[in-house]
Amino acid sequence: MNTTHITFLVERFKAHPDDEAIVWGGQSYTYGWMADGIERWMRELDEQNIPRGAVVSLEADFSPNAVALLLALIDRGCILVPITSSVEAKKPEFRAIAEVESILEITDDDRVVQRVTGVEAKHELILKLKHSGHPGLVLFSSGSTGKNKAALHDFVPLLEKFKVERHSMRTMTFLLFDHIGGVNTLLYTLSNTGCVVTVAERSPEVVCAAIEAHQVELLPTSPTFLNLLLLSRTYERFDLSSLRMITYGTEVMPASTLQRMHEILPNVNLLQTYGLSEVGILRSKSKSSDSLWMKVGGEGFQTRIVDGLLEIKAESAMLGYLNHDSPFTEDGWFKTGDAVEVDGEYIRILGRKSELINVGGEKVYPVEVESVLLQMEGVEDVIVIGVPNPITGQMVQARVRLSTDEDLPQFRKRMQAFCHDRLARFKIPQKVILVEKSLHSERFKKLRVE
Amino acid sequence: MKEQLISLIITTLGEMDLDAEIKATPFSAETALFGRQGILDSIGLVTLIVAVEQGIEDQFGAAVSLADEKAFSQKSSPFLTVESLANYASDLIKAEQQ
Repeated sequence: MNTTHITFLVERFKAHPDDEAIVWGGQSYTYGWMADGIERWMRELDEQNIPRGAVVSLEADFSPNAVALLLALIDRGCILVPITSSVEAKKPEFRAIAEVESILEITDDDRVVQRVTGVEAKHELILKLKHSGHPGLVLFSSGSTGKNKAALHDFVPLLEKFKVERHSMRTMTFLLFDHIGGVNTLLYTLSNTGCVVTVAERSPEVVCAAIEAHQVELLPTSPTFLNLLLLSRTYERFDLSSLRMITYGTEVMPASTLQRMHEILPNVNLLQTYGLSEVGILRSKSKSSDSLWMKVGGEGFQTRIVDGLLEIKAESAMLGYLNHDSPFTEDGWFKTGDAVEVDGEYIRILGRKSELINVGGEKVYPVEVESVLLQMEGVEDVIVIGVPNPITGQMVQARVRLSTDEDLPQFRKRMQAFCHDRLARFKIPQKVILVEKSLHSERFKKLRVE
Repeated sequence: MKEQLISLIITTLGEMDLDAEIKATPFSAETALFGRQGILDSIGLVTLIVAVEQGIEDQFGAAVSLADEKAFSQKSSPFLTVESLANYASDLIKAEQQ
């Protein structure tokens, strides 16, 4: 049996057969189980006649079988399209874009259902990857600011960085495995034979309960989730003393949220992560737990800043989009579109260039305004964007979810007074809309598109 | 309707974060808003207009746009005084309700 792609992982699993690999539905599965599971799936894929190099959608959330099957598919050189229930409505569209040939669906009770779509993948990039014999990965961008782009990766360079052994931790898989951050967390944890703790639901309540019950050490999450955690005060009701590190990424962290998080959990390292579906996850190091300044890079990554915008050249960069033109410069740099400030070796992410608001020539990034508004009593969540206005070109608009029963004029007055000494005048939202529904996606990322 | 609009504009001005010396004089229909001797700069004007638009939607159920190309092509600016803004808003509401 050819086990070249994941041999290093299976060897590590076999060296720790009794260690916990994954906690799912409150039950533990060991690395011994996982190694057997992978071999079982390798035989099963043979019997089911799933061709090597086939484009296969793995429609599942984290479960022991989903992980074993995922690794068996990598080993088989398949091009994996992980799709989770969070994109239920988009499944047919995603399958079509990725030219999925076989569907492997894992049911809620961890059984696998297989279907053949009758599609034969013809995309030039897919054919090239198939020809190389390398496994692949298709990831869809979150589409929180527009359409979902499908990034096709060669899995071999993505696996490369996990060959270096690092510290293992009991890690919650908060980000899903159809997300570059989720894939990264999973592979990092498995390659160091740490324990993956899964949750069925990602509410502060369920996450905190799982941290306490399973002694989770590392929680990779998003600023939006941390804001919910602060609001709910769930941390007061559970013992979170096992936590050693919280990593946050996928969107810009408001300074005020980070500050409060640090005050509440002073002994937990708060570390910013940085990565993109297109290039993978960079190694990063925050200056301190309450600092938004960080170093990014690591082996296989080069970074540079052009006109205030971060550009990345990565050995693990995707081969290209399946439904969009190549975003790379001729010499292989990816323009992230993220505006950054630089201080020596450190950078600070200001926000997406496309989200910069220009109020009569004065410029402001949404997160600066959001960070101030989040400090107001009763503000549960807020999204700031620029909207057109004929007088100043654009104006600052804030959509706010309140826990108070103020009406709009009352809140607007209080907001203007609160912001008076905290924000330059042009940054104070000229337009405020009070909303009742949640402002974030299932991925705990702010929905900036109205 | 015009009186109601003048009162809406004056209330909105009162809720805005303006300099104490501006607030020292009570607002009236004659208060100059924008332009000669106006109390607002462009950001203040945007803030006022958006708030008044939202107030009009609440009180009159009409969605009007007080600052658009049409406003700028008027012979005299609708933003000169509280009264001129009320007149302009009243015209727009009537047109919207027809």
